[in-house]
Amino acid sequence: MINRLKATRYLVEQLSDEPIIASCGNPKFDLFTAAEKRKANFYMWNSMGMASSIGLGLAVARPDRKVIVLDGDGAILMNLNSLTTEASKAPANLVHIIWDNAQYQITGGQPTHTDGKADIEAIARGAGFKLALTVSTFAAFKKVLSKILFQPGPWILVAKTDSSDAPGRPPKSPVVIKNRFMEALREA
Amino acid sequence: MEWPRKIVSLLKANDIASISFVPDTVIGRILKAAEKDPYFRFTTLAREEEGIGIITGEYLGGRRGVLMMQGAGLGNCVNALASLAIPYQIPFLMLISQRGELGEFNACHIVMGKALRRILESLGIQHYSVNREEELETVLGGAIKTAYTSEQPVAVILTTALVGWKDEK
Repeated sequence: MINRLKATRYLVEQLSDEPIIASCGNPKFDLFTAAEKRKANFYMWNSMGMASSIGLGLAVARPDRKVIVLDGDGAILMNLNSLTTEASKAPANLVHIIWDNAQYQITGGQPTHTDGKADIEAIARGAGFKLALTVSTFAAFKKVLSKILFQPGPWILVAKTDSSDAPGRPPKSPVVIKNRFMEALREA
Repeated sequence: MEWPRKIVSLLKANDIASISFVPDTVIGRILKAAEKDPYFRFTTLAREEEGIGIITGEYLGGRRGVLMMQGAGLGNCVNALASLAIPYQIPFLMLISQRGELGEFNACHIVMGKALRRILESLGIQHYSVNREEELETVLGGAIKTAYTSEQPVAVILTTALVGWKDEK
């Protein structure tokens, strides 16, 4: 099992100012805790499932930038059709990471369907992704990251994580989040 | 100029190059008018809600998008509008073809047809209807401008009076 906060910290260390879209639920808490001062972080406070779609739109609009999506298993299960759209549009600059702890952690740890039979990597392949991987150790995560951050995608990376809590909380104002993020993108 | 071509020319005049859509026959006519112009980029959506996310991402990246869908699709978009586009102040045009009003043959379109404007109003989304071709410039052009001024999504409804109804017995 991978510690999600540790993996998020490591990911951010490998990046400069590439935009990151962090799903509602715990991905945004991890990202803020790992890189509070980083301006190119987009924190979602709701619209569960939309991280993949926002990432796709941004990747298509800004082909010059690598776009990272930090998603959760519960969130992507709510917007599975977006995988078919991502795979069809296939922007080479999109890296879609799905933290899979097989539970709705933020609501008390109720199991998701990845706790049973669902396999997100297989679903992504079925949706049309050629480049889809699953890792379950930090060493494997680091190794894969050194590839997917530099080679053309789009990539799906399912990372099996634990359910530790990150203490940080991003700004509550959606407009503050948006403006800071757009400013970072304009400067880059 | 026929209404599909007029709509396409108004999109282009307002720098809207990206079209995300779930088709119906009305949207299909607009797509046909747009596809000849390499200016436009198209994204086929599997579900309308995705379009709210995609257009948000495009806007964050500095590109304007339009969401084209049938009225039924608004039902699939409600939470993404309420919890993403509206609070984050993401402006865009929703171009909605209406079913369930004049000349409807299908009972399963009536309820969403009646609910359409009230859903938009419940969400606080400004909406305008186009009944005649000659209204397009004012209503569609004006709605786009209002969306970007208010930094909010705005809906334009293409009514049966404009586009006709499906003639099924």
